[in-house]
Amino acid sequence: MPDRELRRWKSLVRERADREWRELSLDVVDELACHLADLHAAALRGGSTEREARQAALDALNAASFLEVSKRPRARRGVGYGHDVRIALRQLVATPVVTAIAVLSLALGIGANTAIFSLVNSLSLRALPVKDPQRLAILDAQDNGSWTYPIFEELRRRSQLFDGIFAWDTQRFDLANGGITEFVDGAWATAGLFDTLGVSPIVGRTFTEADDVRGGGPDGPVAVIGYTFWQRRFGGAGDVIGKRLTLEGVPFTVVGVMPRGFFGPDVGHRLDVIVPVGMLTTVRPERSFEQRDYWWLSIMVRLKAGQSVDQATDAIRSLQPQIREATLPNRWPAADLVEYLRAPLTLAPAATGSSSLRQRYERPLLTIMVVVVLVLLIACANIANLLLARATARRHEWSVRLALGASRWRLVRLLLTESLLLSAIGAGVGLLVARWGSQLLVAQLSTQTNTVFLDLSVDWRVLAFTTGITVITAVLFGVAPAYRAAGVAPMEAIKEQGRSTGAGANRLSLANALVVVQVALSVILVVAAALFLRTFTKLATLDLGFEPSRVLVVKMSAERASIDNPAQRMAVYERARQAVAGLPGVQSAALSLVTPVSGNNWGNRLEVSGGVALTDSRRSALRNQVSPGFFDTYGQRLVAGRAFNNTDRVGSPPVALVNQAFARRFLNGENPIGHTLRRFPAQPDEPSREIVGVVGDAVYRRLRDPVPPTVYSSTTQSADVPTTEFNLSVRAAGSPALLTQSIADAIAVVNKDLALTFRPLSDQIGASLTQERIVAMLAGFFGTLALLLAGLGLYGVTSYAVSRRRNEIGIRMALGAAPAGVVRLVLSRVSMLVGLGVVIGAGISLWASPVVATLLYGLEPRDPATLASSIAVLAAVGAIAGWLPARRAARIDPAEVLRDS
Amino acid sequence: MEFTGAIREAKKGTAELVVLAFLNDQPRHGYELTQLIEERSGGALTFNFASLYATLYKLEERKWIQGRWVEKAGQRRRRYYKITDEGREVLAAQRKEWRQFFELIRDLAGVRYA
Repeated sequence: MPDRELRRWKSLVRERADREWRELSLDVVDELACHLADLHAAALRGGSTEREARQAALDALNAASFLEVSKRPRARRGVGYGHDVRIALRQLVATPVVTAIAVLSLALGIGANTAIFSLVNSLSLRALPVKDPQRLAILDAQDNGSWTYPIFEELRRRSQLFDGIFAWDTQRFDLANGGITEFVDGAWATAGLFDTLGVSPIVGRTFTEADDVRGGGPDGPVAVIGYTFWQRRFGGAGDVIGKRLTLEGVPFTVVGVMPRGFFGPDVGHRLDVIVPVGMLTTVRPERSFEQRDYWWLSIMVRLKAGQSVDQATDAIRSLQPQIREATLPNRWPAADLVEYLRAPLTLAPAATGSSSLRQRYERPLLTIMVVVVLVLLIACANIANLLLARATARRHEWSVRLALGASRWRLVRLLLTESLLLSAIGAGVGLLVARWGSQLLVAQLSTQTNTVFLDLSVDWRVLAFTTGITVITAVLFGVAPAYRAAGVAPMEAIKEQGRSTGAGANRLSLANALVVVQVALSVILVVAAALFLRTFTKLATLDLGFEPSRVLVVKMSAERASIDNPAQRMAVYERARQAVAGLPGVQSAALSLVTPVSGNNWGNRLEVSGGVALTDSRRSALRNQVSPGFFDTYGQRLVAGRAFNNTDRVGSPPVALVNQAFARRFLNGENPIGHTLRRFPAQPDEPSREIVGVVGDAVYRRLRDPVPPTVYSSTTQSADVPTTEFNLSVRAAGSPALLTQSIADAIAVVNKDLALTFRPLSDQIGASLTQERIVAMLAGFFGTLALLLAGLGLYGVTSYAVSRRRNEIGIRMALGAAPAGVVRLVLSRVSMLVGLGVVIGAGISLWASPVVATLLYGLEPRDPATLASSIAVLAAVGAIAGWLPARRAARIDPAEVLRDS
Repeated sequence: MEFTGAIREAKKGTAELVVLAFLNDQPRHGYELTQLIEERSGGALTFNFASLYATLYKLEERKWIQGRWVEKAGQRRRRYYKITDEGREVLAAQRKEWRQFFELIRDLAGVRYA
């Protein structure tokens, strides 16, 4: 007790010296405080009341001039601020539990905000790390998503249009020489990439126009590699130039290494290997990069100095007729060609690079950004409540400070300094949380076929953002206690000696308001979390129309298997299938051109004999070419007719199977068996096929899409194979992963040059849900956090209310109130707060939820069941948070209360 | 008793003498000194507590007294001041001067002191 008394006097002495702008040494402060404490104690001994004794000592302090005892005047500049920080630190250390809870909530809140923001930043805001990125623009490919090489060539020939132009296509190259594939992220690019971006190699050279020709230039096939790949593959060796690198079985010579930090024009994708477009035909003999109907490239230009994107667009448009005319795709229907000639060429700013990841994740990320901002707000409300409780305990100190002449502004400043300090510590820890969190998130974005690379280094934007939210946060939770401090009357608390009534009630109404806000925000977050979790669950448990577990997909690439005749390829694939089907542990194996949710698809417009009249666009159906046994392997139901069998051969009448969706669309649900289907308009090279069977609807491209009308034809009737890649799906008796090596060995016996990529079907389907999984995971995590924080806030306020009403409750009980009545009394208050919060939160949720409609699947944004269950969860948390203090209230001993009062 | 005019002025100069005199027999802390002065003067002499400490620090700076933090059982830690040998000499000299001064006043103004 003496120590606390002494501390109080010390702070008063310091405060007093501050007011005179004098600096006292620690010894002097100690000695003067000791003196005042003695004075106070002596007065008490002499029979004074506590109030008189305190006043006597305060009078002595007030009458003192510190001019003589202080060694030097304190420099006026910065006075106070250093002192404020010291006082604030003392306060934070003095209440370690409050500080720890506040710092932890802030670290999570600010950390989550910074993590999500740094993702948004690196995905959408940060300029490419190249020369003058503001002058880059991309040729907007709205319709096809990409461009043909001839279009690029036409633009490049008109070099006066821009300061530079290049085309590229990101690509994963296989480093393995046959057998199990080992991919590296890379790109085909034209030689202009390096000059246009303005990047130079750190070792060797880049490739030039001379290298970028069909089959390679004077040095043969050349490649430029990225810094990370150089380190990983070549150990950063200085003599890497001239080394051999096998890509897709073709030997390339390394001619240069790009600098660290350079990742290419695509955000989210790091180029480890860049090879000239001219090598395409060497690597993919079935492809010619000059093809007019091969849409595969992105095109980026560097604008001339001072040229705006609109001016450059105008310049291109003036040449559009010539460019379009010279690049008309072969074999296109006339109507499409008219559209082709008309479609305007448009440039779009590309300072931040191009990114498919951006388009896909922009909305989910913004949604999560809103979620984390709400979490931070809830955390702020909680901390404000904690500080309010502490503020009440400190009213005494404040009123003495005011009595000693401190201005209200000074008090408010002191408290805001405390908030800022707390917030800054939270932000410091939060930055660590953010670093870890954002890396974790990026890792979650990557799938087996798509390695996501994002530069997450902290730049000025992230720092500014974090600093900004730190300050805003501090103001948000610091204002409530500061407001209370400003309302303290000098000496008021001394008079009351800590047994206040009126002021406590004020603090309670403010605290109640904060709790209502917390509950309302939590409702919003819990509703959002529930919507996203249900979306994910619905998708993850969707009836796919087939059974994905224990199916291993083996992608076989015959690119370098030296099979010249396409007709022979199918025979090789079929032999591979038979070899695998005979392996122990394999239940069945089937070939297919497309596998579900693989990102690939094949479709045509079709017409059916006796079918309903359809518009052209409604005639589109997706297609697949499968071997007999495919539907068994996938567990896809045969609804009517027969599946493919060995009687379906080249030369036998062409047959097809369709799914139920096809029958619904093309035949109005009639039995399709016996009808014939053919391409629309009819193609001479493709026969009409008789429908011999109907299979159940199965997911084709995306889980979210309604099952499309699908037509299956048989590999056994196919004269050739449209691509060099074919899939072998293997249903295993046990874990499919264990079969990898034996399958690879079996296929190598058939043809050792087939490149093989293994992937469990369930993994392929899981990867397609990455976005939904991440959103559900984050929303779930933050929803839970919000619930926890709101529960804590409610508990704190109720506990405080109970402790304040202890006397009243004791007296009620002494007068015969039953414990159950006391519990009711407390819970009725809680339910009022929760009820109000829930009504407000539900209202906002109903109003705002349509914004996330596109992220949902299988449920309405205003789904009543989700809303009801979220409210129930909130009510349960409220009940628990209220019941604990209520139970304590019911256990108050009336006798003890009466004795104390 | 309130002093005014000349005596009030004189009092300022006496502070050092009084503090040295009270410390002459034993070390004391600041609060004790104020109490003693007030008690012995019957309340006629009081020091503002900051001025008392200002005086103590001045004397300490001149090395006439020496302060030291002492913690006694059951008490707060306090700073006790002890007179130094130099302080004793100053005290003796000052006492002598004051005595001579009073004798002079007595003779000149007919003031007698008890």
